[in-house]
Amino acid sequence: MLEPSLDLYGQTFDQVDSLLKELISRSHARYAMIVDMKGFVLMHARALWAPTPPSLDSLATLVASNYSANTAIAQLFGERGFKEMVQQGDQVGTYMEELGDKALLVTVFDRSAALGRVKLITKATADAIKVVIDSNSDDAPTLSFGDDWASDTDELLDGFFGEGKDS
Amino acid sequence: MSTINFAAREINFKLVYYGPGLSGKTTNLKQIYEKVPGEAKGELVSLATEDERTLFFDFLPLDLGKVNGFTTRFHLYTVPGQVFYNTSRKIILRGVDGIVFVADSAPNRLRANAESLRNLRENLAENNLKLRDIPYVIQVNKRDLSDAVPVEMVQMVLDPDGTVPLYEAVAYRFEGVFEPLRAVSKLVLDKLAERT
Repeated sequence: MLEPSLDLYGQTFDQVDSLLKELISRSHARYAMIVDMKGFVLMHARALWAPTPPSLDSLATLVASNYSANTAIAQLFGERGFKEMVQQGDQVGTYMEELGDKALLVTVFDRSAALGRVKLITKATADAIKVVIDSNSDDAPTLSFGDDWASDTDELLDGFFGEGKDS
Repeated sequence: MSTINFAAREINFKLVYYGPGLSGKTTNLKQIYEKVPGEAKGELVSLATEDERTLFFDFLPLDLGKVNGFTTRFHLYTVPGQVFYNTSRKIILRGVDGIVFVADSAPNRLRANAESLRNLRENLAENNLKLRDIPYVIQVNKRDLSDAVPVEMVQMVLDPDGTVPLYEAVAYRFEGVFEPLRAVSKLVLDKLAERT
């Protein structure tokens, strides 16, 4: 059976969505996102006043890879990982909190938000998200693929690669 | 393992281009980026050194379209081929769903091909994975080299049983670039159906 990487569906999804929006509002951050360890975006929220974010796919991939690289550095010194994962530029910074071993909560903030406040509220939100996910008792939705799956995927791939066949 | 996002109705897959240094992994991604229409691709991200050798990875997200009501998204990665970047390769292999092994046709790179494949098996093992369990194809690149070894010789080194799909390519001319990507995508999608 196929499982989601993090149990985010139904009521749990709605609750976590509210937590992300609250995080944005209370910390005055631009964006908050949940990224799995493979670099896929699972959920995201954006402040109404924030400029259009960069590509979320690129951001998520770089965040997850950066986390993995930093963990590898920590392990060179016998640490399990680094406790603080914060980056600060002149205008924009990012702060990361682990959500168990499957995902990361990432907050992107600018100079209008105080780092200490961002860290405090992001930590509290990560704890709250873990509680919501751990208390989820709903069965995960199931995916089923009918007999047409093979032909459907052939059609999908033909449609995609047919537009630019190799020379 | 593929990532499913029920809320967004997306299924996400991670494909990795692996192989020895300078075999053409980044060239594959650049060619794919050039040929895929704008709405179906994201940004091509390259973490490279000043002399354009891959330092950490290249990354290209593709949106293949919908099947069974779910959007299928493929994230394509390359690894750095140079021997001393092994930690980076291990990190990139985490959660891999499919692999395109890009082999070099130059006679003096036969051994590098074999060593890279052995390194791939070792790094997968460290991620608790086995190559035989992962959808996998071979692309034999640089077929236009004047001294290119016969493709059978490359196959003898990498897949003596001849069980792995193999494609010849001249990646910088966009020859044989889509075929291995299409093949590994199909294998990954079929495997998803087997697991459910």
